Amino acid sequence: MIIAGIDIGAATAKTVILDDDRIRSCAIMPTGFDVRQVSLDVMKAALEKAGALMGSVEFVVSTGYGRRSVPFMNKAVTEIICHAKGANYLNPQVRTVIDIGGQDSKVIRVDEKGNVVDFIMNDKCAAGTGRFLEVMATVLQLDISEMGSISLTSKAPCQISSTCTVFAETEMVSLRAEQKRREDLVAGIHKAVALRIANLGARVGYRDEVILTGGVSKNIGMKKSLEDAIGIEIMIPEEPQIIGALGAALLAKNELSKH
Amino acid sequence: MKKTIEDLSTHLRDRALELRKLKETGVKIVGYFPGGFVPEELVRSCSAVPVGLVRGGDHDAVQATLSYSCRFIDAFAKAQLGYRLLREDPFYQMIDLYVVPIVDRNTGAIASYWEFYADAEVFKFGVPHLRTDYAFKYYLDGIKLLKDRLEELTGIKVTDEKLKEQVDLYNRMRGLFQKISYLRKKERPPISGKEFIKLNHDSYYADLSLFVEVLESLLEELKSKEGPVKRPRIMLTGSTLAMGDSRVVDLIEASGGAIVIEEFAEGVRPYNHKVLTDGDLMNALADMYFGRRMPGAFARPATGQRFDYLIKLAREFNVDGIIWYNMTYRDSYNTEGFYFEKLLRDEVGIPVLKLESEYDPVEVGPLRTRIETFIETLKTQKGA
Repeated sequence: MIIAGIDIGAATAKTVILDDDRIRSCAIMPTGFDVRQVSLDVMKAALEKAGALMGSVEFVVSTGYGRRSVPFMNKAVTEIICHAKGANYLNPQVRTVIDIGGQDSKVIRVDEKGNVVDFIMNDKCAAGTGRFLEVMATVLQLDISEMGSISLTSKAPCQISSTCTVFAETEMVSLRAEQKRREDLVAGIHKAVALRIANLGARVGYRDEVILTGGVSKNIGMKKSLEDAIGIEIMIPEEPQIIGALGAALLAKNELSKH
Repeated sequence: MKKTIEDLSTHLRDRALELRKLKETGVKIVGYFPGGFVPEELVRSCSAVPVGLVRGGDHDAVQATLSYSCRFIDAFAKAQLGYRLLREDPFYQMIDLYVVPIVDRNTGAIASYWEFYADAEVFKFGVPHLRTDYAFKYYLDGIKLLKDRLEELTGIKVTDEKLKEQVDLYNRMRGLFQKISYLRKKERPPISGKEFIKLNHDSYYADLSLFVEVLESLLEELKSKEGPVKRPRIMLTGSTLAMGDSRVVDLIEASGGAIVIEEFAEGVRPYNHKVLTDGDLMNALADMYFGRRMPGAFARPATGQRFDYLIKLAREFNVDGIIWYNMTYRDSYNTEGFYFEKLLRDEVGIPVLKLESEYDPVEVGPLRTRIETFIETLKTQKGA
């Protein structure tokens, strides 16, 4: 039984192909401008890896902000529900999912079956998202992938008080002019995002086990800052970007068993 | 001939034109802020036509006020000036007087905006935050001044006889609204939330006599009707539910939820009390519109009383979840909303979703994600 989950996020598009309960393949690519096109491309890429044909896919659940624009989906489900399912599949002990995406962040409380118990999502603002980190990386002339390791060398993280991306960028420019060390700036940025997320999720509560999903979890410095902020150790999945698509695929399997 | 919903649609389609013609004959059109503190009985007793300006939801109307409004005023308040400035909505253009009861800085801003930039006559009066005897007297004085202003505007005296006649008519409308709304306590509500909300918004514009007849025939029709069983059942509450601001309502219904009861400071008429007619009528108006009225979040000490009331409603209507919807920058509701959410979740065990809006089109995606997730979660939790 071949089923698929597709997650069209603000920054990247992801697909997971499941063969019953086993992950057969996955694919990730930038979302770009054309949501319909990227959904076809990312699906094709994952199917090629799996050595399967589009016609053999029995059910597709789409998720992410572009979920309704996927031409071949059978059902669209929100990314919050999919992340909960995906995280539960990886580790049924997970009770809190922190998803830092390109456009928004969510803290999700999950039960032992992978159902959402409660959730919170940030406002229409880039603060505390992957986008915030991208903007800061540009100001500091760093590649986004370098930020994590650089920040770990900091001994005195700078204080970044702005939660607004635009103002934080201005703040960064002044701090740079004050000749602050780059690692301290990066560490300060991580701390600012971490505090933002910690506050966001306080209403939902952080309970063991906590898993961090989304592209930002590839940033080791961010993981550390978040752990400091919430006081709980955080797990990072092997492929943190595909958890939403994985959850979507698992839901596709449920849907299929209903029919 | 019984008046039906179709008659109401025809009437409302031609209503602006009809009022314009009436205005030409010297009849005064009195606009008012739809927060439930303006006794419309007084307006009609002077043979003037009350029109509740209840439109909202349009980003254009908010944008139109950017040169005049400060940032931290809610979008509904801004839009009230916007509709006047845009000159597209005939009702916002034709009024001879705009009555604004001031409950907080947002309503205060609306009144000031209209005074400064709309070239319009505005009548303001204060609604006290407290529920003391002194506060009651203050409100009563406010509506007495309103009565004087209306008499001056129209040249017609408000007599007890005329006022009583209007009170009876409005009492009938309130009673009918309550009966129709309460039919939604049934497992199979005969009227959807969207339909009920539309009916409520229509009441701000329609001719009262015709509207009461429509409600009467509708109630008869609905008594024997059974709608579909829809779950989860949702209570929608918060600061403002304006006419035209249908995104949240539409998203809830599209996700499979059924709105069975709503409670708002603005945009939904209070219909649970009637004006008592056995004593002084002005006093009785103040008693119903202020004294017995469920206080808004801006009042104090309202929170405990409001929460008890909302929880009672939630139980009576057998709701599975509550959606709290307030305008961004409507501080009193915003602050109360967080507390309410915590209280309900931790002590009452009813899930709450808190939403905000400033009528910005960019909100649609996140609103959809939040609402779909919430409804889906309720379905899973309740096995609904």
